[in-house]
Amino acid sequence: MTTADTLSWDPYDPALARDPYPLYARLREEAPLYYNDQHDFYAVSRHADVQRGLADWQTFSSARGDILEIVQADIQLPPGTLIFEDPPVHDIHRRLLAKLFTPRRLAALEPRVRAFCRRALEPVTGADRFDLVEAVGAELPMRVIGMLLGIPEADQPAIRDRTDETLNTVDGGKINEEDILSTDAFRDYIEWRKKHPSDDLMTELMTAEFEDEKGVRRTLTDEEVLTYCSVVAGAGNETTGRLIGWFGALMARYPQARRELAADLSLVPNAIEEVLRFEPTGPFTARHVTKDVELYGRTVPAGSAILFIQAAANRDPRRFDDPDRFDIHRVTQHLSFGVGAHYCLGAALARLEGRVAAEEILQRFPGWDVDWEHAELAQTSTVRGWKTLPLVVEGARG
Amino acid sequence: MSDRWSVAVDTRLCVRTGLCAASAPERFELDERGQGRARSATLPASEDVLEVAESCPIEAIAITDADTGERVFPPELPQAAPR
Repeated sequence: MTTADTLSWDPYDPALARDPYPLYARLREEAPLYYNDQHDFYAVSRHADVQRGLADWQTFSSARGDILEIVQADIQLPPGTLIFEDPPVHDIHRRLLAKLFTPRRLAALEPRVRAFCRRALEPVTGADRFDLVEAVGAELPMRVIGMLLGIPEADQPAIRDRTDETLNTVDGGKINEEDILSTDAFRDYIEWRKKHPSDDLMTELMTAEFEDEKGVRRTLTDEEVLTYCSVVAGAGNETTGRLIGWFGALMARYPQARRELAADLSLVPNAIEEVLRFEPTGPFTARHVTKDVELYGRTVPAGSAILFIQAAANRDPRRFDDPDRFDIHRVTQHLSFGVGAHYCLGAALARLEGRVAAEEILQRFPGWDVDWEHAELAQTSTVRGWKTLPLVVEGARG
Repeated sequence: MSDRWSVAVDTRLCVRTGLCAASAPERFELDERGQGRARSATLPASEDVLEVAESCPIEAIAITDADTGERVFPPELPQAAPR
């Protein structure tokens, strides 16, 4: 018997990594407001509820972060940790970065992103099999962020490993709340960068003048610059890498879509949106409830933690026709980048990297399958995607 | 080129970041649905307003010259060819 009473969703259950969607569908239909007493959190999964809730920062606050165990730990966070702030302070801090992350500025990076991508694909060109995640997913976002921040190339892998390590949890594990505050990875650079200013993000952050929440005109402190850099590196590496992995996996599963894309690259941007809808790399987002809220006839008390399940909302039949069908022609307004004040700052960058990687892969490899037996899917408490994705290439173009 | 701009927020695109109203509260506000809109039919042509439009992460803000109807932002760009 399956009833709402027996319906149970444990976001830390590694067994759910492979296919969480049947359970998400049940949550959406049977328990649109779900409560988990083991981990003491609420969850909503319908598109309208996720969209409304994520936009309502007064009720669903980010002041304690956006990861369930961090929200519940209630820790003090340094200013500038954008993801852990509410307006108006959040907006002051975000505006500083928003100026540096405009879609147009990011679009100008395309030739360099493409050059990184080609360089990453070079060693595997002509190979009859290779791990897409190792070759591109783990490589490209790191190079792009390293370039943005002005980190010397030789040091970029170490920085990536450090930030990924922080967000990494063994399947079913929780994030260490002290690690997430660490800015050590960038500390060495800031002193050096002061003496060697450049046109990178770190230099711009060190020199940008702004009016702070007390009305004082100033530049960011070193600590604040470090925090910004850590936030950008932490948010942009693994998420974007997983997007590229999902592209590779879905194209193997839907070869007809892959053939269409290879024949007409102008379809790629929309296909990336569909990949984002279908398999969002960040499946859910946590918030802290600031006041009692009535939802589906129940009261969610102030002080609760709540999860907004974007991966479920993206497949809500109330919002999308035939939502479990992967359709690269679909006009989609998915919630994978969130909505509201915390809408992903790097969305345009992720889209750019996803599109460029897709174009380069499609042009180099006319067809591929995945060695599913050796592919490995990972679910941490923030990100879901392929850790290993061995592609078996059908006659490489060389 | 006049000194007034028509500023329109595409409500199909707007994802309610609130950045426009937070950046230039004297020029932009949020409607009852939390989407941005210009406070008046036209806004003075200025760097500030242009910067707000440029900073919108989904470029939902379009600026045209109030007199000539000429597009100010986003500028028309040729689609970059992949190769």
